[in-house]
Amino acid sequence: MPMLIAKRLAAVVVILLALTAVLFTLQQSSTADPVKTMLGPGASRQLVLDTRKKLGLDDPLTAQYVRYVEHLVHGDLGTSYRTRRAVSTDLGTFLPATVELTLFALVLALLLAVGFAVATTLRWPGANAFRLLLLVGASAPAFLLAIGGIIIFYKQLGWLPATGRTDILDAPTGPTGLLTVDAVLHARPDVLGNALQHLLLPGLAIAIGPAVSIGRVLRSSLVTTLRTDYTRTARAKGLREVQVMRKHVLRNSIGPALSMTGLQVGLMFAGVLVVELIFAWPGLGQYTAQSIPVDDFPAIAGVMLLLGVAYVLINTVVDLLQAAADPRIEA
Amino acid sequence: MATAEAFVPTTPLRSGRTRTARVPRGRLDVLTAGLLGLITVVALAAPLLAPHGPLDTVGTPTSLPGTEGFLLGSDSVGRDILSRVLYGLRSSWLAALAVVAIGVLVGGLIGLIAGARGGWVDNVLMRVTDAFLALPAPVVAIAVVAALGPGLFHTLLALSIVWWPFYARILRGEVRALAARPHVEAARLAGAGPVRIAVKHLLPGAVPAAVVTASLDLGTLVLTLAGLSFLGLGQSAPAPELGADAARNLSYLLQDWWIPVMPGIAVALLSLAANVAGDGIRNLMSNR
Repeated sequence: MPMLIAKRLAAVVVILLALTAVLFTLQQSSTADPVKTMLGPGASRQLVLDTRKKLGLDDPLTAQYVRYVEHLVHGDLGTSYRTRRAVSTDLGTFLPATVELTLFALVLALLLAVGFAVATTLRWPGANAFRLLLLVGASAPAFLLAIGGIIIFYKQLGWLPATGRTDILDAPTGPTGLLTVDAVLHARPDVLGNALQHLLLPGLAIAIGPAVSIGRVLRSSLVTTLRTDYTRTARAKGLREVQVMRKHVLRNSIGPALSMTGLQVGLMFAGVLVVELIFAWPGLGQYTAQSIPVDDFPAIAGVMLLLGVAYVLINTVVDLLQAAADPRIEA
Repeated sequence: MATAEAFVPTTPLRSGRTRTARVPRGRLDVLTAGLLGLITVVALAAPLLAPHGPLDTVGTPTSLPGTEGFLLGSDSVGRDILSRVLYGLRSSWLAALAVVAIGVLVGGLIGLIAGARGGWVDNVLMRVTDAFLALPAPVVAIAVVAALGPGLFHTLLALSIVWWPFYARILRGEVRALAARPHVEAARLAGAGPVRIAVKHLLPGAVPAAVVTASLDLGTLVLTLAGLSFLGLGQSAPAPELGADAARNLSYLLQDWWIPVMPGIAVALLSLAANVAGDGIRNLMSNR
């Protein structure tokens, strides 16, 4: 296992360098000229030239790339053209809301995936209709699920709130920035309940698509595992179906589903960005959407770098989890 | 990214029943696979099918679906939503087809060269492919469009850049497996050159896998395109686009729900049809 971890971490470094190279290349090819954006259209030619020199934009590309990576390592992601603040400061403001929503959606997706997989594997009268429903759910874009959810559960039924993270005015704002965690830390069950209510609709809108994809993979490995001899033996020795599932079938079927989860996280990020807009969720999606129309590339690149790093790290954890679930993988 | 595979089982269930009792399986698959052709015809014929121009204000704003001759209602400035949806569907579908085509061509070529040539060429090409596969495709696509500036062409370019590695991986695997088969060995012994072997003996065997993956990808691509468009990375304001039309009309959600909902339903139907058709094609190919 330690060997495997070391190998994975080395791979992470290489992949992250590739990611920075991609973002650096994009920055170079970006249509917006950073100096002109900084100084405004009225700047004199001499001032533009001096600023270019001062920022090192006349240096060779390799030198610029090395400096870019150095800055990143020190947490310097540049300055947003729009807010005129350091991108890292902006990200710090918007990140917690997104982390909370994404983690919530991920947990929901995993729970739903297990539910979907088991429900479609077992024989029951509605199984075929349920499968069809899932196929439709997986084909719907996250924004349609979000909009539909608001119309049904907010407008028609009035069960769930449609915007923001909470409507309790004195909700705690620290120390983690994750409202549910902070509520627990401050012993505020009212805030916790309220925050969970606000998480439910956006979380579901993000989670359903990935849950179906993960559930589908889990299902096909479940079907394979159910046909194995050891499952037959477990049944034959009189274990109840629940025990067979939990102890013998699920654990041996989890591997492919875990890899699928890792892949789906990338699609979930796109879903989070979109769904945040609909629910006025004060996270990275809002920040990105406000940055796109004004070509604020440093801001967008900052968000994408953060998401890229998160994706790579999550997938590394998935790899390690797979090795933990199935010791044969260690190689 | 074969996330679009359907929940419908392709193997008989434990009870021994297959998924459909009445319709013979092959015929059903031909029908569903035919959906791809149907969607393409609808997309191409959108200008003929649309009752109005997508940009024309032709009636009372915010008419309910089914009133004043607007099947899907009218939007906030009195444009026919059906017409806008048809044009939006056209650009979504053609864009998805284009990305898949470019992905299959570029990725397929790289996979073919890597698999057929082997050795260090294979190593280098696959390391590059893996680097791309290790990054989250939608995130990289958003970064690319943001750098180049919003627009349909840039969205296509961005998605093509992130989509080809999947095909390169799959094609390479197929080609490697084929290269070890006797007929390829025989061709080599008969004195066929590497190019001839690759084109005549390896490529034909690898095509079905590429076709199946590509058709299963179309639904995912439709959703990804709609997501990028929703974020404002597609065509600019008056142009009809499914994702953007929903995003721009979010404020009407509670009063005139159909304005943002109709484009969303169109995306869902398009992606659903593509997924079902992809399944049909996969079944047809695997049954041969």
